[in-house]
Amino acid sequence: MCGIAGLHLLDPALRERLGSMVTGMLRGVAERGPDSAGVAIHDTGGLRVRKEVGDPLAFADRIDLAGQAGSRALAHTRMATESAVTAAHCHPFVAGTAPAADASLARPGALPLGGTQLCLVHNGSFANHATIRRRLAAAGVMTETDNDSEVAACYLATRLGAGDDLATALRRLTATFDGFFTLAVTTADSFAVVRDPIGAKPAIIAETDQWVAVVSEYRALLGLPGLADARVYEPEPEEVYLWAS
Amino acid sequence: MPRYDAMGDDAFDASPAHHTFGPPVIAGIRERAELGRYPIRGWGARRAVPDFDDLLLLTASASRYPLEGYRERCDTRTVLGGRRAGRPVVLDIPITIAGMSFGSLSANAKEALGRAASLVGTSTTTGDGGMTPEERSASRTLVYQCLPSRYGFNPVDLRAADAVEIVLGQGAKPGGGGMLLGQKVGARVAGMRTLPEGVDQRSASRHPDWTGPDDLKIKIEEIREATDWQVPVYVKIGATRVDHDVRLAVAAGADVVVVDGMQGGTGATQDAFIEHTGIPTLAAVRLAADALADLDLTGDVGLIISGGIRTGADVAKALALGADAVSLGVAPLIALGCNAPTYRLPAAGEAHADVGAGSEVDVRAEYTALGTAPGHCTHCHTGRCPVGVTTQDDALAARLDPALGARRVANYLRALAMETTMLARACGKSDVHRLEPEDLVALTVEAAAMARVPLAGTDWIPGR
Repeated sequence: MCGIAGLHLLDPALRERLGSMVTGMLRGVAERGPDSAGVAIHDTGGLRVRKEVGDPLAFADRIDLAGQAGSRALAHTRMATESAVTAAHCHPFVAGTAPAADASLARPGALPLGGTQLCLVHNGSFANHATIRRRLAAAGVMTETDNDSEVAACYLATRLGAGDDLATALRRLTATFDGFFTLAVTTADSFAVVRDPIGAKPAIIAETDQWVAVVSEYRALLGLPGLADARVYEPEPEEVYLWAS
Repeated sequence: MPRYDAMGDDAFDASPAHHTFGPPVIAGIRERAELGRYPIRGWGARRAVPDFDDLLLLTASASRYPLEGYRERCDTRTVLGGRRAGRPVVLDIPITIAGMSFGSLSANAKEALGRAASLVGTSTTTGDGGMTPEERSASRTLVYQCLPSRYGFNPVDLRAADAVEIVLGQGAKPGGGGMLLGQKVGARVAGMRTLPEGVDQRSASRHPDWTGPDDLKIKIEEIREATDWQVPVYVKIGATRVDHDVRLAVAAGADVVVVDGMQGGTGATQDAFIEHTGIPTLAAVRLAADALADLDLTGDVGLIISGGIRTGADVAKALALGADAVSLGVAPLIALGCNAPTYRLPAAGEAHADVGAGSEVDVRAEYTALGTAPGHCTHCHTGRCPVGVTTQDDALAARLDPALGARRVANYLRALAMETTMLARACGKSDVHRLEPEDLVALTVEAAAMARVPLAGTDWIPGR
């Protein structure tokens, strides 16, 4: 059980405000995941990922989340279900091959996945990830932890590597994974949201001309500029919502 | 083990189950002494071996979520043999009916099983002695067995089949041939097998035209050519050296491997074979699934498990351990009426008896005459089945109405499918084939070691 918050900027003028906007969103979902937290920020310099055990708000202060600039971000607060509470088990999970300049940010120890790099945050839990993990391992794709969400990240990266676009890979994921999930995924140029076939875990999307946001709870949107004029809606089950920059 | 009773005059606990020379053993020795031969009977192993009852499913709670019954999808569709065959076997449920011969079973019983399989969208299987027209016409999907004896095996029926199953052995008697005692070799059975009537028939224990996987490969290609590469080729093994045998079946070109554990039934076999050969189904399924996984062929080469499957819980556990489908023999016979104290006569003016209609005829005295009783009978080999299932006697066979029998077996198979989806949904699965070993724990150390799942309440898998 967790809280997720994702923000994709359409207006480059907001770039310097990304961190402060995400900090407010993280605050709105902090109670959903008191165990640990993590953020991933896409910026012109590449991808920055920080994950730590402990109170999400203290974490945001510690890493000066509010001061960080970027073009899109994923944040996650975690209430662990079946795997351990460690930094390695925190979301966002990063999988795939980083763009050349960011090779140092690829997951240490992971085998080359051959796809484009992606970040994933997940609220929910999967029910058949053990089998999919075994299939990935048989294909040489090794997960680092026993976390179910990491399997989804590796699965998506493998599909991107096989030539799927992100929307196709996400549709394939919903047909392959059992369980309840709201997923937010970022790549170097895309931002996507998908929910399980029942739509069991909460999700709210808000869209303006300047940004797109997804959160687990409405209150996490409240500090965003221009929210009053935003189109706010609940994403449909199994439908892939995708924005590319 | 016998227990010493230091306080009593009787030095040992004489419980028959544990006494080295208890009453059943004494009776067995006396039988051999009087007849100079081994005991023969039907069904599979009756001794207690680790089985699916020794496993439990970890259904959903807080960390995972169950699916609602009746309104949230849980698929049971099963495709077998899609790897090479032009027309794979597509089943509505992963529960099939195993090979049982016309000869061992009455023609009515075979027809009833075919009708039942068609009613629920699954397959049934021929057996030694060939394919009857009633069975073919009643069965939407009919698997045609190619056995060592080749009794009744011919190219015409081969081309009428929806799949071909090359039988290397069966769980009740791996390494042994079939047996049909003379009292069941009636005119029609004898004609189909080109054998004399009324003479005990022993089927071969190995195929006449190939031994070993190198030559099996040629046999499979021959069958593929004869069937124009359209139907899947199954290879059935009795569970002994399962890891080797599954790998070799795959190397020979099998689309589907059928693994029959020691609880698997028979129409007639030596008791010593039934109780003392092969390995339990529980151990066999994991060995077979692991062999296919190691070959990276999980899902590409189908795995059917048989031997003692009775309930939807058995089915769910077998699927979780890696089976794509299960196959049942004894249980559908029981659904037909095997071991029932009565059989049902159609009501007056009714073409066929309906479930719950007609009148019941008590046949307990006939069980007694066989030296047994309803609920205990394994006298299939005698051909004197009081309920018309395992007989070639016309009067006895007429006691089984194929339409009524089919409805009973179909009801049973539907109930199994419902139990399986109920358990899969409780594990959060939208498809019964998504059950996995991680959904299981074991109640005993033995079952944990065989199934390679943790002992309940621990993370301990013996040997890991």
